[in-house]
Amino acid sequence: MIRLSGGRIYDPAHRDNGEVRDLFLHDGHIAPIPPPGIAIDREYDVSGRVVMAGAIDMHTHIGGGKVNIARAMLPEDHRDSAFARTDITRSGSGVAAPSTFATGYRYAEMGYTACFEPAVLPVNARQAHMEMGDTPIVDKGGYAMLGNDDFLLRLMAAGADQKLINDYVAWTLHATQCIAIKVVNPGGISAFKFNARHLDVDEPHPHYSVTPRAILATLTRALHELSIPHPLHVHASNLGVPGNAASTLATMEAADGLPIHLTHIQFHSYGTEGERKFSSEAASIADAIDRHPNVSADVGQIMFGQTVTASGDTMAQHRNARHAHPDKWLCMDIECDAGCGVVPFRYRDGNFVNALQWAIGLELFLRVKDPWRVFLTTDHPNGAPFTSYPHLIRLLMDRGFRNERLARIHPDAAAHSQLASLEREYSLYEIAIMTRAGPARSLGLADRGHLDIGAAADITVYRDDPDREKMFRTPEYVFKDGELVAREGRIVKVVRGATHVVRPDFDRGIEQRLQDYFERYHTIRFDNFPISADELVECGSRETLVHACARPPR
Amino acid sequence: MQLPTKMSDIGRTQEFKNVPCPFCGLLCDDLRIAMTHDAATVVANGCARSRALFATNAHDNATPLVDGKPAALATAIGRAAGILRAARQPLLMSAGTDVAGMRVLIEIAERCGGIVDHANGEALFRNLRVLQNTGWISTTLTEVRNRADLLVVAGSDVTGRFPRFFERCFGEFDTLFRIGARELWFLGDVPADLPTTLRFRSESLPVDPARLAEFFSALRVLFAGRALKEKTVAGVPVGKLSELLERMRAARYGVLTWAAADLAFPHADLAIQSMCEFVKALNSENRFCVLPLGGNDADLTAQQVTTWQTGFPVRVNFHSGAPTHDSRRDSARHAIEQSEVDAMVFVSALDAARTPPVGEIPSIVLGRAGTRADGCSVFIPVSVPGLHHTGHLYRADNVVPIHLRKIAASDLPSAAQALQRILDAMKEPH
Repeated sequence: MIRLSGGRIYDPAHRDNGEVRDLFLHDGHIAPIPPPGIAIDREYDVSGRVVMAGAIDMHTHIGGGKVNIARAMLPEDHRDSAFARTDITRSGSGVAAPSTFATGYRYAEMGYTACFEPAVLPVNARQAHMEMGDTPIVDKGGYAMLGNDDFLLRLMAAGADQKLINDYVAWTLHATQCIAIKVVNPGGISAFKFNARHLDVDEPHPHYSVTPRAILATLTRALHELSIPHPLHVHASNLGVPGNAASTLATMEAADGLPIHLTHIQFHSYGTEGERKFSSEAASIADAIDRHPNVSADVGQIMFGQTVTASGDTMAQHRNARHAHPDKWLCMDIECDAGCGVVPFRYRDGNFVNALQWAIGLELFLRVKDPWRVFLTTDHPNGAPFTSYPHLIRLLMDRGFRNERLARIHPDAAAHSQLASLEREYSLYEIAIMTRAGPARSLGLADRGHLDIGAAADITVYRDDPDREKMFRTPEYVFKDGELVAREGRIVKVVRGATHVVRPDFDRGIEQRLQDYFERYHTIRFDNFPISADELVECGSRETLVHACARPPR
Repeated sequence: MQLPTKMSDIGRTQEFKNVPCPFCGLLCDDLRIAMTHDAATVVANGCARSRALFATNAHDNATPLVDGKPAALATAIGRAAGILRAARQPLLMSAGTDVAGMRVLIEIAERCGGIVDHANGEALFRNLRVLQNTGWISTTLTEVRNRADLLVVAGSDVTGRFPRFFERCFGEFDTLFRIGARELWFLGDVPADLPTTLRFRSESLPVDPARLAEFFSALRVLFAGRALKEKTVAGVPVGKLSELLERMRAARYGVLTWAAADLAFPHADLAIQSMCEFVKALNSENRFCVLPLGGNDADLTAQQVTTWQTGFPVRVNFHSGAPTHDSRRDSARHAIEQSEVDAMVFVSALDAARTPPVGEIPSIVLGRAGTRADGCSVFIPVSVPGLHHTGHLYRADNVVPIHLRKIAASDLPSAAQALQRILDAMKEPH
């Protein structure tokens, strides 16, 4: 039994907003107050400290083919950051595309205890799980990509029954050992293979004639009917295109009131005003999120500096390849399943577009009223490496700091943004929502992201430093499943995280149809496609935690 | 033992369907294999290579050796650990091991300040240098199978390295999209065993592979709408170049492929870069992709695991503790020739024909039973992934990992198990 005594508890799931109380940890979980006579093995005096559940990154590219291409492509990202093994940790390297071990350690040191890889190509799911298996300490989970795969597009083109599509979606979650479904540029990755260079929400696919809107409607409905906790995770059409706010709003409407999550929405909130024909639509997008209770979003904030963009959106990545810095890039069409594109990128504060992107992201954070529906991400590494989160938190919590930074960016971008006028400063309670309670609720993780009795003892203890960047950079203590894993920003124990999945019920009749499809068209046999529970262990997973398929409370 | 799917008992012969074959980068996973006692026979969907390598008798040379003399496994493990503990900078080299084997091999290298490379490292880096300098736009086998109406093969013996490539990826079968007649161009020789239906729609230009950079640079010039002063380029009349260019521009989904292992001439990376930059340019008009083929001897598997664990794609050096990477300095060949390594681990669990580079340094060979291990300090026979144990390998297109099956029993440890025992022994106080 471990006791954390005297901490100020920020647990929004139970409306604890800095209440002082002790926490008891036993057997990896948060335990009730023990009766007198039970020995406390270890006591940590955390008086005056800020105590939160371990943080959850619900959208971070930490494993899978495109991340590994980014690593191989960028030795320059690794040379100056390489570190040796110690008695307890392995060696590693990398900032924008860190090695797997580096990823686990850096997240844990910052108080993160769970990370979700949002772009698992079904055919590449084994790789994602193998890389996540080599990512220590944190829990992991993946979102399987659908909506550009020829199997689904054929079903839709043939007018298949929704029930059949639901079975396929459920089968995909089982076969890939994932917790959610993502769609990237609905239909657009496939359209690019037919030499289309754009696909708007109501534009018919050049071969299948289905529209992105129909794909969104079909998949949101499938997840709703299967009671998958996390809504359809959507990387919308027209990423990065000036004026794409219109298609982002159309994407929200396509869900027709059913739950939908729009990811890295900063990249989708652009207008065409001004002499450079590039402007902020953060106000209209934030307003639309406020008006649509079925919509949630994560921001995908950009930060200035070198990073690499890795995305399934070949159409967008090929379009953006001309901005590659350094000047090298890769795009790949993959297995009638999806695609990937890797483009290194350097965001500059003196560049008008980059500076405005930075301001748009912050505007979105500050304008969306409900912190339960907007999550803190940089779309690692696409907007910035995840190690920039403490800086981002300070930008949100400290208006003086924010305005000081705003004064440094391209003056025209600053003038075009209303960021200076936004007075909001996030509270610790709101930060706890958007980095813990919100993501856990959205993903259906019943025992994570909060500090109630029975929850996993994933806990982060911070010193209440007015410099919020310093505070969130180096927590005093980080516990994973009840074990102290990091102290003052140093790893003190390496444990292995679990894999979070959902396994919805479905009619196995779909498998015959899939088998026929694989035999006729694929270069892999159906028998060899799904990942079994045993194989997941071989990939390196400690264990699977299967979450209930039930809609989370709103 | 994990039960294989779809197994039928016929007397004492068990038949397994849809078995993945680990013996070339294609990782065909449709083999039917009959197991009688310990003998595996490919009864359908194989090739000469898979038939030979599944059938190899597991009992030849299946005893550990220390200094050429039979020894207990524990003795061999202890000796291997001793050599590595004493080494200043050992070389750890794969010539065929799965993801699990690579994971331990890298950990050993990290612990003893070693260099990690693959026996095909030179071929891997012909492509990797291009990825690290300019990149490419590429595709994978199922896309080729269903979409490609034009395939251009550059200076490579595709069927020699990947026997069923045309049978599975570019031939006459049902496709998702109407392709019409597929067209095939060889820059170099037409393979002798090309199926007749393809042969008669194929065209060949006698380009010396060493002049591919020149050839594709000229194509780029023509593509940009400029004229060439020369009458021939790399021995090919400019008229033929123009014809090929028009075919490539007209393709709905064209693919340019090569096997880097076949481009064995100085600065082959520049030839590959020239091909990749030309294909990038084509995409301003139509869709065209490259398909760099590899994966034999689990070379792409070594590259993938090393990349995610260290941040560098093989040729990683742990001498200073932290991983460093120099694709020339840290090559196995350079390290041996320059006497920069003082011990070697060589892992080859797939093909007993792979033998370690000859050198003066103490060598520890983990090989498939039957591997010739003359002169090595320690030989540990290991079981075969995809035959005796499960495992993961990466396919020729470097995207698809395949899960291998266990269809036969073996008393031998897997390479990963043997390496783990060596690592554990290295950690013991001594």
